Amino acid sequence: MIFRSLPVLTVTGARATPAGPRQVHWNRAARMLLDNIVWLILAACLLIFSLSISGFFSYENYVNILHQSVFIAILGIAEAFVLISGNMDLSVESVAACTAIISVWLCASSPYASGLMLNTWAALGIVLLTGACIGAFNAFFVLRLKVDSFLVTLSTYIVVRGLAVLITGGMGMNGLPASFRLVDTAKMFQIPLMVFLMVLFYVFFSFLLRRTRFGRHVYIIGGNKAAAYNFGIAVNRVLLWVFVLSGVVSALTGWFMAARTNGATASMATGFLFEVLAAVVIGGVSLSGGMGSLVGVFAGALILSSIHSALNITAASPFLTEVMRGLLILVAVVLDALRRMFR
Amino acid sequence: MAENARRKVILRLEGISKSFSSVVALNDVSFEIYENEKIALVGDNGAGKSTLIKIISGNFPPDRGELFLDGRRVSFKSPVDARKAGIETVYQDLSVCNNLDSVANLFIGRELTRVPLGLPILRMKAMEDTTIEVLKKVGISMPSVRDRMEYLSGGQRQAVALGRFVAWGKRLVLLDEPTAALGVRETKQVLTLVESTAREKTSILLISHNLLQVFEVVDRIVVLRHGEVVGVREKSSTTPDEIVSMITGAIFIKNRKRGAPAKRRR
Repeated sequence: MIFRSLPVLTVTGARATPAGPRQVHWNRAARMLLDNIVWLILAACLLIFSLSISGFFSYENYVNILHQSVFIAILGIAEAFVLISGNMDLSVESVAACTAIISVWLCASSPYASGLMLNTWAALGIVLLTGACIGAFNAFFVLRLKVDSFLVTLSTYIVVRGLAVLITGGMGMNGLPASFRLVDTAKMFQIPLMVFLMVLFYVFFSFLLRRTRFGRHVYIIGGNKAAAYNFGIAVNRVLLWVFVLSGVVSALTGWFMAARTNGATASMATGFLFEVLAAVVIGGVSLSGGMGSLVGVFAGALILSSIHSALNITAASPFLTEVMRGLLILVAVVLDALRRMFR
Repeated sequence: MAENARRKVILRLEGISKSFSSVVALNDVSFEIYENEKIALVGDNGAGKSTLIKIISGNFPPDRGELFLDGRRVSFKSPVDARKAGIETVYQDLSVCNNLDSVANLFIGRELTRVPLGLPILRMKAMEDTTIEVLKKVGISMPSVRDRMEYLSGGQRQAVALGRFVAWGKRLVLLDEPTAALGVRETKQVLTLVESTAREKTSILLISHNLLQVFEVVDRIVVLRHGEVVGVREKSSTTPDEIVSMITGAIFIKNRKRGAPAKRRR
């Protein structure tokens, strides 16, 4: 009986704003396009560069693009989790730099290092723990003292970078053991191990985000924090894990960077933060939380590294590279604004 | 009243008081909700309706006073406790996540999982099947339950929010202004839904500004004014005019049940 009395609900229903079905349709199409535009941009970049730049379209260069994208792509995982949960983590770049320096300081034979020449895997453990601690440190201020995550991580961004310089005294270190460098030197089909690991991380963290209760709660908190609390989700516990995850993943990136460059300098990874944010936001993650997927972030990272590759091959001025970087961030925030407009 | 004496009490409130710093939100509120009853809580803005709802749904505890559910004293430390006890709340803002689909919204905070390696993995198919079933019960059909809420109409979102109480409201359902954001026709549908889906042994507490709605749906009406209960009326023995005068205070003293006239606290 009730079923018969409710047929009107089964149609489109009445919207708060009087929009006809056709307009709803168009809005929806626009939103779908904006959410997946990263793939169009990536395809356009690869196509245009491959056709117009000689030397771009080769197996070696495509492997190189993948290899170059590793750091931004993995840091993008960390940033995506934090952004989707409705927060911001500006410290990812500094954490990566600091942990790179710590790991080299522990393991390297360089006279500026600690001289401990620690076992690679012990160093990895220490590095990941450091990342977890910095993440927990961020979370403490955000969750307990209710400071805005942007401001907290802005501080840690500076503090952690400062610590990195403090450790090295501004000196570069090098000379890592072969076991440490394995992630970069071991290759299959000319593709370094760290590329495969990156793909593995994406598979794992996509699963975590999309198919587990933890990931679902991250989306819920990012979408409607009050609802999350009302329905009994342990908001603070989930967010603590998100910040710790961000710290650990960033730390791992630092370890990869050290392996890649066979050493560390105080200024390494400078500017990564903005590239990470650009990749993540172009990839469809909303700056206001609750939206986005990791595959999109991966595509965003590939766009950035293909543009870098194109600029390298054409031997463009480094200042032009800087201009491109800035423009990419602009593209990212404009996309974010457009998505919000159609929401 | 003679009839009520025979009915089973689901929830009894005894002397509930709550202050926020110097503002007294609720003062010595007592009333009972019977089994399978639809009762309305009415009052002007700031009368304490929302505070009372939040106490019953476990958002915060009262300063003084006690809650009895099925005769047993309960104290809820969080909304989860209340929900476990069978009290489901449909919030004014619907508490939906527009960034997620109907399935995620229906199961918000109570996701079905299996735990093979210590990591709770979502049982997507089971949750989707249940959602389709529940929404069918609510009497709504959607293009897909996997569509994000932002693509849905106001009525469809409402249906998902109401689906939660259809699926899980065991003893008592609190409806906090469920029609505040809806048009006339959708409101009507929601009220029909409330009437027909309130299952055996489930009681409904409706908070509303709209007396017309209240009279259409409920059996009894509790009137709050300045944080105190100024009267409880059977629908059959009162008129909208009387309720309005109780809300506004025109017959404030006359209808007080207990002792001295209320003091205005500031």
